[in-house]
Amino acid sequence: MDQTEQQEEDYGYNLFPERNSGKFQKGSIAESLFTFNHKCQVMLQFAMETSPYAKLLLGAMKSSGCAVYKDRHFSCEDCDGTVSGGFDATSSQIVLCQNNIHQQSHMNRVVTHELIHAFDHCRAHVDWFNNFKHLACSEIRAANLSGDCSFHNEVSRFNFGLKKHHQECVRGRALRSILAVRKVSREEAEKVVDEVFDTCFNDHAPFGRIPHDKKDAKFAYRDFENRDRYSANL
Amino acid sequence: MERDTLEVTNVTMPPRTCDDYWSEFRHCKSLWNRFHNYYAHGTSPSCGQWKEDYYSCREWEKNPGPETKESLQQSERNREAEQRKFTPVWDLRRDPPRDWHMPLHQGKSPDSQS
Repeated sequence: MDQTEQQEEDYGYNLFPERNSGKFQKGSIAESLFTFNHKCQVMLQFAMETSPYAKLLLGAMKSSGCAVYKDRHFSCEDCDGTVSGGFDATSSQIVLCQNNIHQQSHMNRVVTHELIHAFDHCRAHVDWFNNFKHLACSEIRAANLSGDCSFHNEVSRFNFGLKKHHQECVRGRALRSILAVRKVSREEAEKVVDEVFDTCFNDHAPFGRIPHDKKDAKFAYRDFENRDRYSANL
Repeated sequence: MERDTLEVTNVTMPPRTCDDYWSEFRHCKSLWNRFHNYYAHGTSPSCGQWKEDYYSCREWEKNPGPETKESLQQSERNREAEQRKFTPVWDLRRDPPRDWHMPLHQGKSPDSQS
């Protein structure tokens, strides 16, 4: 990717310094000894096999012609700061920040979040780089549907709220994600999020509902598996 | 293809199993779901339709008449319509992105846009 340094900062690539070249050669002993790469790979595999959120998204993407292959579409890398992951549309890859993801539950959530971006990329003409509304919409959906804003996760961040707090959280996290990867003022980002919030908050594809917990996700996955029978008998 | 056969011989079974309707009803009424609904939407969930659909489903299995089928199918179509009650901000694709399966390159060029 021959982008200038300015472009890298504008699109958030500076958060993922290993996108072009890693400190250690991929698959080397140095990589296994000095990074969390192996742990990341193991947790990723477990997430793909056991998380109902991830399984549903992987199935939906396969049905849409974007079968996901772990070695091609995922990359465990060291990242800057506290970012947990990202979706790189130019290479069709999900980046997982091996130095910032240390628990399986966190991995499950990040994988789900980034798969939602990948799913949007697969099913729609999303202009990630030039259209803020598109970026905002995908971030709203990812915060809404990945479990990022579950009551449990919010309480663990000391964000206490009840009535409609989920929506506040989704707005806030979408805003943060946009500000992290684009050079834009807070006011401008808030304006864009407000413009698209209602429509994107109500877009629950491919879940068909907001999966607040694993049980919701399992119900959604059951519906997905039975989709052929469902559509044939309407 | 199985789907064509089903369309030719008319709809033969409910869109979901009757047990699925009942489990959705129980799930909807559960304490956790009522909490989650309040947390997300500020309201109590409306679960009555799942129960009605369960009874329609049982009726379908016993006496598969056109009215019973229509009532359940209409309920499901309404449910689907609820999920589409918004104007998308983006255009949907007809085909997946061309470069989704292309191999990665070291020092890639910037033209690999979908």
